[in-house]
Amino acid sequence: MEQDAQLVQQCLQGNGSAWEELVHRHTRRVYNICYRFTGNGTEAEDLAQEVFLRVYRTLGSYRSAHGGFATWMTSVTRNLLIDHYRRTKRDRVTDSLEDAITVVESKESSARRPDEQALLSELGRQVQAALKKLSPELREAVILRDLQQLEYAEIQQVLQVPEGTVKSRINRGRIEMARILQQMGVRPS
Amino acid sequence: MNWTCEQIEARLSEYLEGALAPADQQAFAAHVQQCPQCAPLVSTVQGLVSGLHGLPPLAEPPRLVYAILDKTLGPRQTARGWRAALAFLRGFATMRFAYGALSVTATVIVLLTASGFNWKHPRAADLHPVNLYRAANRQGHLIYARGAKFVSDLRVVYEIQSRLSQDSGIRTAPESTPPPPAPEKQPGMTNAPRQNGPRQQNRANGIRPELSVLASDLAVLCNRRLP
Repeated sequence: MEQDAQLVQQCLQGNGSAWEELVHRHTRRVYNICYRFTGNGTEAEDLAQEVFLRVYRTLGSYRSAHGGFATWMTSVTRNLLIDHYRRTKRDRVTDSLEDAITVVESKESSARRPDEQALLSELGRQVQAALKKLSPELREAVILRDLQQLEYAEIQQVLQVPEGTVKSRINRGRIEMARILQQMGVRPS
Repeated sequence: MNWTCEQIEARLSEYLEGALAPADQQAFAAHVQQCPQCAPLVSTVQGLVSGLHGLPPLAEPPRLVYAILDKTLGPRQTARGWRAALAFLRGFATMRFAYGALSVTATVIVLLTASGFNWKHPRAADLHPVNLYRAANRQGHLIYARGAKFVSDLRVVYEIQSRLSQDSGIRTAPESTPPPPAPEKQPGMTNAPRQNGPRQQNRANGIRPELSVLASDLAVLCNRRLP
């Protein structure tokens, strides 16, 4: 965390290699959040680029006293993801119109690029399919807690909601996801 | 205190994370043990959470970092003039390039030598594709002929060796092995047809040195008794 703060300071002084270092350190995390939220590799790449562009432009507004750089970056990512979700809401098919989960899943898997398919394990695919069924509030809570393994306080900082709401969303998200997996005939062990 | 299924659902994550008070933990477990609806839900959520925690992070596409850097820092400035030439030459001053160049050179030398290129008196005409093809074709046929001759020679040597070993094996056959029973001779009938004449001849050859040794011994014995 201290190293991140130092790198940010160096970036603000115009050090390009410090920014490169920051990009290398955080790309995977940001990409993973975007991928888990959207379930699409190309969208995740575009969103990750947008996140870093926004972070680069607003780097001066980061204050290390208010929390870690990673948390700040996660909240920027989350805000962009929500914006993206709202922007693309019309384009998406509503859940009621979707076919059976298995059909949807097979469509998704065939639409994915081969490198994405190789990356996702069987469990990863099932998790991705179940995550997509969750509402954005529950989805982001589960991603941050169970996939990014953030602490409750960090999630609270990212989502800007009270701790009780964070806990409730995580709990509801898990239960809903478990029920979706049960419907899919998957029994996580 | 008896918990309801709604309470179980509401505090499921707290139970899984061990955040409940001991009394609540016990009440939770007691309800789950007897409730046919809550038990599978709890075990599924438990499995899901551990599965999610165990999922490894996905690797980002390699181009993503460069795309981000291009978008934020701008495209990398390309050198011009003598700097560009220097940067171009610097690319060759690497061990990787040196190994590559060395292996390519070695391959070219081997191929040219195999195609019959004369290194002592090199001529430009020898590098013409048609000449190279002809030379390679000739070399190929030559190698094939040499190989065939070598295999043939090997066969001859092998045959000679096998004959020799066969002969020596018969000569040094152990005495302990009983000879095959001779067919009973009938009056007026000759021996069985000679199927292995040379073997009998060899046996006779083997007997000859033994006879000579016996003769010399006999002479010694005779000399002793004479006086």
